[in-house]
Amino acid sequence: MLGYYISLALRSLRRTPVLSALMVAAIAVGVGAAMTTLTLNYMMSRNALEHKDDVLYALQLDNWDPHEADDNPSAMPWQVTYKDAISLLRSDIPTHQVAMHRWGGPISLDPSQNSGGEMRPFTAEARVTSRDFFALFDIPFLYGGSWQGDADTSPVQQIVLSESTNNKLFNGENSVGRTVNFSGTPFTVVGVIEHWQPSPKVHDLNNGSFNKSAEIFLPFGLHRSFEIYPWGNTNGWKPEDINSYEDQLGSEYVWIQYWVQLDSDEQRERYREYLTGFIREQKAQGRFPRPLKFGLSKPSEWLQLNEVVDGDDRMLNWLSLAFLLVCLVNAVALLLAKFLRKAAEAGVRRALGASRKAVFSQHLVESGCIGLAGGLIGILLTLAGLALVRQLQMGYLDTVASMDWLMMLSAIGLAILSSLLAGLYPAWRISRTNPSIYLKTQ
Amino acid sequence: MLKMHNVRKSYRTDTIETHALRDFSLEVNEGEFVSVTGPSGSGKTTFLNIAGLLETPTGGQYLLDGQDVSDLNDRDRSRLRNEKIGFIFQGFNLIPDLDLFDNIDVPLRYRGFNAKERKKRIEKVLEQVGLSARARHLPAQLSGGQQQRVAIARALAGEPRFLLADEPTGNLDSLMARQVMELLEFINEWGTTIVMVTHDPDLARRAHRNIQIVDGQVADLRLQSALGEAVTA
Repeated sequence: MLGYYISLALRSLRRTPVLSALMVAAIAVGVGAAMTTLTLNYMMSRNALEHKDDVLYALQLDNWDPHEADDNPSAMPWQVTYKDAISLLRSDIPTHQVAMHRWGGPISLDPSQNSGGEMRPFTAEARVTSRDFFALFDIPFLYGGSWQGDADTSPVQQIVLSESTNNKLFNGENSVGRTVNFSGTPFTVVGVIEHWQPSPKVHDLNNGSFNKSAEIFLPFGLHRSFEIYPWGNTNGWKPEDINSYEDQLGSEYVWIQYWVQLDSDEQRERYREYLTGFIREQKAQGRFPRPLKFGLSKPSEWLQLNEVVDGDDRMLNWLSLAFLLVCLVNAVALLLAKFLRKAAEAGVRRALGASRKAVFSQHLVESGCIGLAGGLIGILLTLAGLALVRQLQMGYLDTVASMDWLMMLSAIGLAILSSLLAGLYPAWRISRTNPSIYLKTQ
Repeated sequence: MLKMHNVRKSYRTDTIETHALRDFSLEVNEGEFVSVTGPSGSGKTTFLNIAGLLETPTGGQYLLDGQDVSDLNDRDRSRLRNEKIGFIFQGFNLIPDLDLFDNIDVPLRYRGFNAKERKKRIEKVLEQVGLSARARHLPAQLSGGQQQRVAIARALAGEPRFLLADEPTGNLDSLMARQVMELLEFINEWGTTIVMVTHDPDLARRAHRNIQIVDGQVADLRLQSALGEAVTA
C-alpha cells in the first residue's frame, strides 16, 4: 500500500499547489536553518585524528607562574619552550614525537627553473616541524618522503610541499629533487604530501582551529640558521631580557607544540615516568616552580580542552532547533487545514473499506512526502546558509562550512521526521472523523 | 443476511440527547430488495450507517451474515465493510481527482487484490454499467446518471453480498433514475441483497418489501411483493 499512498500523496500535493508549497517552504526553512547550525557544529565537533585517538597525545608541561596557573581549562600552558622541546626530542620512548610551530614566507621556483618569470612568488603558510610529523599524523606522500633524520637538529635545507603547492609550482609533477626558493634560500624538495586538511586542525588549535593546513613543511633544525620566530602565539609568564636569538631559544617563552605517539600501556607508563623525571631534573635547576604536573591529552580530549565547540555554538544549535519547532507548528496548522479539506474523501474511503489506520497511514505518508520535498529544498537552503557563513567569516570557517553526505542524509531524515511529527495530529484527526457526516453532506 | 434486534442509537451533546433509533428491529433475508422510507429525521440514514458498519449502535444486537458485529473493532468492521457491503450514495461520492478506473480501484486496494485481479474486476464492472469507454475520464466529465453508474460499479467491484443505497436516484432526473433503478434490480436478480433508502414512493414500491421508519422505529412492515403484484395487475 505504500506505493499507493505515495501516488495519492503526490496527487494531493498537485491538487493544492499553493498550500503544499507553503508546507514544503515551512519545513525547508526550518530544516535549512537548523541544518546550517547543526552542520557547523557537527563539522566543528569532528575529531580528524579519531583513528589514532588511543595512541596520540598532546603534551603540556606546567612550567608557569608559581603564583597563578595558566588561564585556560587545563591550567597549563598549551605549548612548551624550545629548550624543553629539544630535550624531549632526545627521548626514545615514543614511537613518534613531533615538535613544531607555525611559520611562513615567500616561496617561488628556483630562478634557474623560472627563467620566463611566469611564476610569481607567493606567501606560503609553513610548518616547522620535526621529521616524525608525517608518520605521527598519518599523512600519505604523493612523492618522496620526509627529510633525513639529522634535519631535526642541524640546518638541512630540505622541504616537503603540500599537493596544492606542488600543483602551483610544478603543475602537479613529481618535484622530488627539484629546488624551490623559500625566503630567498634554495630548498630541495624531498616529498609532496597528498591533500591533508584536518578540520578542526587538531594538531594546531593555537592558530585558528579551522584555518587551512600548512602549504609547506620545513625541518626543525633550521631555527638557528634562519632565526625563525613563530607565526603564532608566544607566551611567557615572567619578564625576560631577549637580546638575541639565542635568548629567545633559551627563554621560558612557550611557542612549540608537542605531540607524541605512545602505542602501548607500558610505553605510556614509561613516558609518564620519563616526564616526571624530566620535570624533577628541571626543578633541580630552578625551573618549573609550580607543583609537578604535566598533561598528555588524546586528540578528543585536546579538542574539548581547547573548547573548539563552545557554549555559544551549542546555544545556537538549540535556537535553530527551536526555530524548526516554530516552522513545524506552522506546518501542523497547514496540514490540518489541508487534511480536513479532504475529510469527505476520507469518509468515502472509510465507507469503501479503509480502516482508521489506513486513513491515518495514507495521510502520514503525505506528510512524509512533504517532508522529503522540504528536506531537499532544505539542503539547498543549508548550502546557501553555509556559503553565507563562509563569506561572512572571510575564510575562517571554510573547512567546516560545508556539508558531507552524512549531513545531507541527516537533513532529509530531519525533514521527514519533522514532517511525520507534524503530520501525526492532523492524520490522527482525519482518521477519527465520522465518515457518515461527510457521506450524506458531500 | 441482516438482523437487528432492539438496536438503539443516540447522540449526546452537552445539553441534549437525541434518540435516532429506538428498539429498532429488522430482518433482511438474503437476496431481498428492501426499500426504506420515512420522513426526514426519522432515522433512515442512521439505520443505513449502522447497517453499513459506519456507526456503532448504542445498544442492541446487530447480526450481519450471522456474525454479531455490534462490538467489533474498527479494523474488523472495516474489513467486513470492504468484503461484504457496497455503498451507493445520493451524492455519488466519487473522488473528484481520480478517474473512473481509479475510483473503482479504491475498495479493491483495501481488499488487497493484486493489480491483475483489480484490473479484471474494474473492466468487468465498467462493462456492466456501460462505461468501459470512459475508464480514464474524471467524474466531472460525466453526467449525473453516469456518475451514479460509476458509483454502482465501484460498489459492485468487490462483489459484495449486501448493497446499501442511500437515495441513489435523489440527484437524478426521471429518465436517469429509471435507468439506475433498473440496474439495481438487475444486480438484485443476480443475488445481491439490497437495502435502499428513498423518498420516492414509486421506487419504493418496486422493491420486494418496503419498511417505514418513523421516530427511529420500524413503523410498518408489509410484503411489497404482494402489493407489487396488485399494482401491476
